[in-house]
Amino acid sequence: MMSPTRERILDDVRNLLRDFNGKEYSGDIGTETLLFGDIGLVSIDAVILAEALEQLYERQFPFSMFLAEIGREGLGDIRLGRLVAFLHDQITVGSSKD
Amino acid sequence: MPMIDLKGLRFHYQQRGRGPDVILIHAVTSNLSVWLFGSLMDVLAGDFRVTAYDLRGHGASDAPVSNYTSADMADDLQKLHSALKLGPALLVGHSFGGVIAMHAALLHADMVRGIILSDPFFPGLAHLEPNLADMANWRVVRDALVEAGANLGRGLDFARLFEVVAALSPQQKERFSQKMGEPSLRWLSQLPRLASTSCGRDVFAPAGLTAEQLRQVRQPVVALYDEHTSFQATREFLATNLKNVCVEIVPGAQHVAPLQNTDAFVHLVQKHCRALNEAL
Repeated sequence: MMSPTRERILDDVRNLLRDFNGKEYSGDIGTETLLFGDIGLVSIDAVILAEALEQLYERQFPFSMFLAEIGREGLGDIRLGRLVAFLHDQITVGSSKD
Repeated sequence: MPMIDLKGLRFHYQQRGRGPDVILIHAVTSNLSVWLFGSLMDVLAGDFRVTAYDLRGHGASDAPVSNYTSADMADDLQKLHSALKLGPALLVGHSFGGVIAMHAALLHADMVRGIILSDPFFPGLAHLEPNLADMANWRVVRDALVEAGANLGRGLDFARLFEVVAALSPQQKERFSQKMGEPSLRWLSQLPRLASTSCGRDVFAPAGLTAEQLRQVRQPVVALYDEHTSFQATREFLATNLKNVCVEIVPGAQHVAPLQNTDAFVHLVQKHCRALNEAL
């Protein structure tokens, strides 16, 4: 099966975030959008978003490694483009192993 | 989102990896994301089946009005352990999560192989820590709230904290955020839900976990205390009174080692989980 493109993944994440865990967000959502600062997610929301993405793509992602990397870089927030790139890399690597 | 019904209460949990069981128990006012943001979950999943869950009233788990003592939460843990059909497990508990782990070792001994504590204070040892309200982390929060125009009072009082935070105006939250940083607002936003519960009072109740009871814990315990811990007397008590204990210091940390010195914390927990697993 073909791996989804980054644009497709961005669309998937965007759709999840439009009405997410009781938080409705009506602003533009793009690669520069910040999950905490712009969308208003809190830490447990990030976990629930990760679970929703794992369900959508039917695989587990090493989110804890991703989040730890964000933390080590001193970034207090997650830019959507960074998340999409992480998902794309993981799916591509996973597909090449299949 | 993975949820499990434990006799009428729904708990949010996550599982990763295969192997002997490890259960991660977060602190009061935290949630299971602390194990993901710190990478511990994925690191341990290389050797173990790791289960993390949100305590009652926290994260995405249900928030009943009452029953938030360490004994109540040890019972929740036992129900989770049973419902997920886990084997005897190593428990890793941060702060109050460590209190729950020790209580579980006494009340449900068969499910606990060993325990790794991260900087806990035990209500049953409160007599050893007379200056709790001077705890550095609490002072920082109290001072920031005072600057935002809210008064927490003099004592260490979580019930009061939850009520005060629930009543903060948007302007006060903004002032708090300016003093403490943006991430503090995300932490703050989880607290109002606890204002309508007995959590703030219950977590300071010994609930039967007295000094004498702590001495009865038979399982091996690794006590990781932070370099700048406020609980030195508690650390000394554990070092001299537990039957099978190893104490190590997490450099540079002050009660929140999983986030303040993630690399050292993850390394120590992984090292001790492996050692306990091989020894048992």
